[in-house]
Amino acid sequence: MSRALIIAHLYPDLLNLYADRGNIQTLLQRLRWRGIEARVVSVKKGEPVRLHEYDFVLLGGGSDREQKLVAESLRQQKEDWHHAMQAGLPILAVCGGYQLLGSYYELANSEKVAGLELLEMTTQASNQRLIGNIAIESEWCGTVVGFENHAGRTVHHHTPLGKVVAGHGNNGRDGWEGVQHHHVIGTYIHGPLLPKNPKLADLLLLSALEYANMTVDFYDLDDELEWSAHHSEWSRWTKVK
Amino acid sequence: MIGLWIAKCISFILRWMGKSATSFPGKIALRLSPHLLDKLGSQLSRAIVITGTNGKTTTTRLLASMLKQEEPIATNAEGANLKQGILSALMEKTSWRGRLLVTTALLEIDEATLPQVASSLPIQLLVVTNIFRDQLDRYGELDTTLQKIREGAEQIQGTLLVNADDPLARFIGLHHKGQTLTYGFDNSMAREEDRQVMKDGAFCLECGHLLNYSGYFYGQLGVYNCPSCSFGRPDPDFVGSLDHHHLQIYNSQDQNKWTVPLPVKGLFNVDNVLAAVAAAHVCKLRIESMLKGLATYQAPTGRMQVFQTTPVSILNLIKNPAGCNGVLETICREGDAKVICLAINDEAADGRDVSWLWDADFELLANDESIVSIVTSGLRARDMAVRLKYAGYPVKQLYVETDFATALDKTLELANNMSIPSAFVMTTYTLVHLAAELLKERSDTNVEGAYHRASVS
Repeated sequence: MSRALIIAHLYPDLLNLYADRGNIQTLLQRLRWRGIEARVVSVKKGEPVRLHEYDFVLLGGGSDREQKLVAESLRQQKEDWHHAMQAGLPILAVCGGYQLLGSYYELANSEKVAGLELLEMTTQASNQRLIGNIAIESEWCGTVVGFENHAGRTVHHHTPLGKVVAGHGNNGRDGWEGVQHHHVIGTYIHGPLLPKNPKLADLLLLSALEYANMTVDFYDLDDELEWSAHHSEWSRWTKVK
Repeated sequence: MIGLWIAKCISFILRWMGKSATSFPGKIALRLSPHLLDKLGSQLSRAIVITGTNGKTTTTRLLASMLKQEEPIATNAEGANLKQGILSALMEKTSWRGRLLVTTALLEIDEATLPQVASSLPIQLLVVTNIFRDQLDRYGELDTTLQKIREGAEQIQGTLLVNADDPLARFIGLHHKGQTLTYGFDNSMAREEDRQVMKDGAFCLECGHLLNYSGYFYGQLGVYNCPSCSFGRPDPDFVGSLDHHHLQIYNSQDQNKWTVPLPVKGLFNVDNVLAAVAAAHVCKLRIESMLKGLATYQAPTGRMQVFQTTPVSILNLIKNPAGCNGVLETICREGDAKVICLAINDEAADGRDVSWLWDADFELLANDESIVSIVTSGLRARDMAVRLKYAGYPVKQLYVETDFATALDKTLELANNMSIPSAFVMTTYTLVHLAAELLKERSDTNVEGAYHRASVS
């Protein structure tokens, strides 16, 4: 009998702006449908983050006020985060969570919110938000569709998650979206991200299972509904170009 | 003046053609006479304004029904709540010589529009119903919505009437320079939270500490206090409690108690009745006018609106998680078997971002065996179906039909085939008027009205 996969949802009380619950639910259901046991640990404000106990971490997005509160807590365990990343802990960070992985997020009033410094990456707020449907092409996980809504312009020199086909991406200038470093995935794509992108969801689960040393029968699911939603959005937003 | 004339002509032609003239005439008038709102607003002796995320249209319609018993008013009761809609409502009561024929205006105003128009109107009473997560791509973030209402409230000398049960609305009331009154449910109605749903404003806006709740009414509405500062739910000035199918209202200032019938369904709608009656009281309406107004109340489009189709269908507008949850809870409380049609569009007025579907508690439907089938439709029919699949709803009972008319026919057909007594139709904004039209076409008679069967607890 194998153990349960532990998924940590960080600060669901603060970083829950874009239905991040949907990402957790997608991971959980896709495990359950395959008969793999899993447990979600919700880490709330003020509670310690026990990185060594988790097999997967989700960091969602929040408003500027909430993001600042989270940044302060997270930075107290900067070293732990660095070690966990080196050890291969899969981390999915969306929107605000993505920005927190870098060295800082500079707000519109020039105040700098220091990040986790896991990545060599900086974000600067602009008064023009980048909002709309987004479609990207990734070497790792194929096509990804979703929605973006961010004031931040993010710049880094790591491998991006994918190339923007429609929408804005990291900064609206260089044509790239997201980041991929060790097993850390950062992205501005919500909608939420995982339900309509089943391949990405499964790749994340596979890396979590591998990190957890769990050998299971990870068979294909019937994703007809998911792919029809995926393709429908892909053709709606990429056709315009 | 030229703007007014042209707009009135357009409005006349639109109505003559049988079209709705709720926004377009105002839009034209604004372009031709940018100061028309100031000119008309200055002729009013009082404006009563309803704002907040949910319940604006129903509360406005309820209060309008009561106010009209005493005097003619200008009102945008069909939910056209942006600047052009407000102007259209006033122009409708303006003579060709530019003279306003009424002295009172009752207006529902969009949260983001409020600061732009507040100074043009003699606002004596501003009602803030609640602040929930709405269309994020329009407002940026929840904090922005809060800021917009605050900016609007700052321009107002009159009374602020806020929902005491909502910490965000309460926060706005606390910072008002003028008189602030509150309304809220009786503490005995608060329940422990049994569902894990997303909540807004769980943190104290004064000091950032996590709020303590001793009980919830619905959504983030409940009995709260901050453990680290003095912020907390006040004892409401107007306390509402449910008494069978009636709402009992206690005025803690004059210690009067009175009871009104409920022409609506769902706890969120009872809250709207409470807001409207409290507002009517602040406006010094006679109790007979209130009762008569409630008795003649007709539900606006898509607010538990009943159509005599076969079987009977009930149309509901859904536009954000909190409002959607209220509708879902009310539907699930109806014990009989039912078929549901869920139509989701992502046009600008619907909100381009449909991620809110994942914040709404569709798990309620997954665990309810009375929901025999669900048909999804609209531009985001497939997104909706995926949402239901992950909520745990059986895929074999799910039908995806992007064409909305076909989806409605499918819904009624499924219900008919299994002799199911009712169909519930839920749509986003850009589909709700089409839904009303299509359901009317499919009705046996043209009878429609508010949903009167009472079960609200």
